[in-house]
Amino acid sequence: MSTLDLIRKGERGIVVAGNHPGIVQSILDFDYLSGQKRSVLAIITGARKAQKYFFGTKEILIPCYPNFTSLPDSLKSQVRFLFNAQSGRRAYETTTAFFDAFPDALGAHLFAENVPEVHATTLIEKYGGRKLVAGPSGVGILVPGHLKLGAIGGVDPMQIEASKLATPGSVAVVATSGGMTSELIRAVANAGKRLSFSYCIGGDRFPVSSLGDVLSLAETDSATKGVVYFGELGGVDEYEIVEMIKEKKLTKPVVAYIAGIVDEAFDEHMQFGHAKALVAHKDESARAKREALRGVGVIAPDTFPEFLEALKTLPGNDFSDTMSDIQPLMTRQKSILSTRHVTDLESVPVFVEGGKLVAQEGPFGSAVIAALLGKPASSPVTKAFAEAIFTLLIDHGGHVSGAVNTMVTARAGKDLVSSLTSGLLTIGPRFGGAINEAARTWRAGLASGQSAADFVESATKGGKVISGIGHRKYRVGIPDPRVAALSSFAELLQTHPHYDFARSIEKVTTGKNGSLILNVDGVIAALMQDILIECEGYGEKEIQELIDAEFFNALFVIPRAVGFIAHFMEQKENDEGLFRLPDDLLFERKNEQ
Amino acid sequence: MPRVKLTEHKAKSLILGDAYTGVALGVGDTTAEGTWVVKVDQGVKKRMKQGLVKVKVSSREIPPALSEWSQKGFTRFIAEPFLPHESSEEQYLSLERVRDGIRLLHAKEGGIEIEEHPEKVQSYIISSDTSLKEIAEKTGIPESFLAHLLETFSKMHFAFLEINPLVILGSQVHLLDAAVLVDSAGEFFVRGAWTEDDVVEGRSAHEAEEKVATLQKTTPASLKLSVLNENGSLFFLLSGGGGSIVIADEAALQGQGEAIGNYGEYSGGPTREETYLYAKEVLALMLSSTAKKKALVIAGGVANFTDVAKTFAGIRDALSEVAHELRTQGVKIFIRRGGPNEAKGLTDMKAFLETEALLGSVHGSDAVITSAVDDAIHFVAP
Repeated sequence: MSTLDLIRKGERGIVVAGNHPGIVQSILDFDYLSGQKRSVLAIITGARKAQKYFFGTKEILIPCYPNFTSLPDSLKSQVRFLFNAQSGRRAYETTTAFFDAFPDALGAHLFAENVPEVHATTLIEKYGGRKLVAGPSGVGILVPGHLKLGAIGGVDPMQIEASKLATPGSVAVVATSGGMTSELIRAVANAGKRLSFSYCIGGDRFPVSSLGDVLSLAETDSATKGVVYFGELGGVDEYEIVEMIKEKKLTKPVVAYIAGIVDEAFDEHMQFGHAKALVAHKDESARAKREALRGVGVIAPDTFPEFLEALKTLPGNDFSDTMSDIQPLMTRQKSILSTRHVTDLESVPVFVEGGKLVAQEGPFGSAVIAALLGKPASSPVTKAFAEAIFTLLIDHGGHVSGAVNTMVTARAGKDLVSSLTSGLLTIGPRFGGAINEAARTWRAGLASGQSAADFVESATKGGKVISGIGHRKYRVGIPDPRVAALSSFAELLQTHPHYDFARSIEKVTTGKNGSLILNVDGVIAALMQDILIECEGYGEKEIQELIDAEFFNALFVIPRAVGFIAHFMEQKENDEGLFRLPDDLLFERKNEQ
Repeated sequence: MPRVKLTEHKAKSLILGDAYTGVALGVGDTTAEGTWVVKVDQGVKKRMKQGLVKVKVSSREIPPALSEWSQKGFTRFIAEPFLPHESSEEQYLSLERVRDGIRLLHAKEGGIEIEEHPEKVQSYIISSDTSLKEIAEKTGIPESFLAHLLETFSKMHFAFLEINPLVILGSQVHLLDAAVLVDSAGEFFVRGAWTEDDVVEGRSAHEAEEKVATLQKTTPASLKLSVLNENGSLFFLLSGGGGSIVIADEAALQGQGEAIGNYGEYSGGPTREETYLYAKEVLALMLSSTAKKKALVIAGGVANFTDVAKTFAGIRDALSEVAHELRTQGVKIFIRRGGPNEAKGLTDMKAFLETEALLGSVHGSDAVITSAVDDAIHFVAP
């Protein structure tokens, strides 16, 4: 079976060496839009465990390894190709290491332009004619609907669509120039044809796969019915086509354009475009090569527009375009990836049932509350309430400010304590630090003897907000399950004046706006006071001392530190590297004065 | 990557090592007593015919020769002890890296007249398993010298080496004249054995070409510029090695080859800033052209990964600086481009050109690659 047929049968796993995120993303977009599984299996790069890309609109992590041999066996068995995005200095070393690690691999693309000649010729000696190796330089290999090995055909989903890269067809596009490969791929689509495959040989002096190798591939490929070729002045590759046609090693129709007639306008030969586009002998001129091709029946027009017209004469009009919609890909946005559900936000435990405490007190929660109060709590209600708070407040997802700061700091390469501290330092009046303020508010309100309506009126004067009231997501009709669960502790008390006061305030505020409900901070602040007074015998003065010492905020800080550490650990595990705010998420307004 | 020429002094020093007795000279330098051959060492072809070589001169005659050549603008010279020999002893030898190894060309006679006697040249391809002994026997070149030469060739990233004439007296091999092209991509690997300072320029570059060449050294993107006709009427900001030739071809095919002011290309994803600096050079060239009617063609194929919006923003940065002068000179700008962020790039550019009254035409990837240059030719030569 030919290599192209193996690719079409699904042998298409790619390992990437080096860093070219734009091209890697385009390979993944091509896979997604072609309805295939992702072909990029792993990335060889130092100092990272994973890199984040989109597959469709979802973000995925592609695992990174320091070298080819450290890939796990499950991936090794799928590897068929190398996309080598490394610099010219390293490209040789990496390519030989790849084929040493994967002797049965089918091919590679070397992206770098400045590969030393002696490296290129050594690669030819080792792999020329035996593997599909596109480059050095150029844009790689494309088998529509199956394999995109490199920038070939473009990196923008709109290009993948406009050039119909997902649809298999019957025209092979072959060129030395990367830009012209892309141009011809589009031209073939515009001429109402589709590609069987495209192969960019590379404009360097010594490409590993020769023009002859690629044309043999086209000749033996059953899907290919015709060949489009773009060549330039300089070099003698085109005479290889002439010989192949004469010897009947190439029997399929060929349409060619040989660029470089402009050279005739100057007295002295000059270097155009690519490394080899310099005429050294008379027969390397565009005109001579064009005429030699015509001599063996190749359609080789003088002008580019004539060449485009000639594409329409190639066989193969039967295909159907079935590409997925690109629209969702155009609006996707990068995020901080959080892969760990620290706590299950959906399920809230039952604490009280039928007026009876069903929640267990825990030794850790009891020890913590004893440490904070300076003496052990005597009531099981107090201990169970502390346990409930600590359980519910461990985490509230990766979106919240403190978790974001922890993750950003972790991704900046900082240690556990620095990342945790960065998260903790975010806690304040607007995030997590409202419990203490709510406790103060309920206490002051109760002591003032004001009606709830009057209290709200005076407390919100000048646009102030009441701590413990309001939620972004929950509202009247969509109650916060955590608030409902914690509120059940009120059933265990004889009196609960702080809780009642908080609820009366909620009644007034929700009358103004349905989202101004009693929140978790508010219900903890109210009930903890009621419990301490009734179950632990706390007096006015002792409660005031706790408020002054920020005891109520400690109830948040303690469990949430655990959540932050969990987010720190997940970021270290994902190891995505330094975070930078995506451009779209930062709106910059220049000062116009 | 380009092959570039080393000075003869460096080339021979690399091949012969300590055994090399030549000296590199600047204007005003002197040599020890003796009989010398003194030459200009700046990669000039056919030095003998141009009078840039003096054979069998005394050390006293050298300073006046150097000052004479320096008046013609030359700055680097070389002096070597004169070797008495018969012209019939002059041989030809060259090595070139080719796809399947190193091609050795040799002629036992002919020397500097070899181009007139191609039939005397024997060709050998040397790959990793070739027997040097056999080639040494056939050519009469000592095997040890051949082995050393090939080792130096590979280790020093030579791409081409020509020794002409080569004189073999007994077991002694003399390189009377040697030229070496090195593979510039190999510079990192030779660890200072040769550097950019040892490279000679083929011809004195235009100031704008020099600036772009300097810029090229600082970026992985490709930036090239050649000035063809300072007073041309068509100026090009082209992208892509292949696409740029197709567009230049179209001008030549329409009989406007002489009107082309510059050739060049930017590709490989240059940044906005790099594109700005490149465009600036082309605009300066165009503004100083004395042609009556001038057009700027910003064109290229459908880019694979060069961001059209970003590179066009760089071009606009350069255009804004000289928009007034361009308007005064009646310049119009013609565009054809495709690739990533094509729609935004073209829309922004069109709006800019309309505002600045510089708009010729704007085409995207649905139009033929030659559309912009065709429109421009129609404008300058209706």
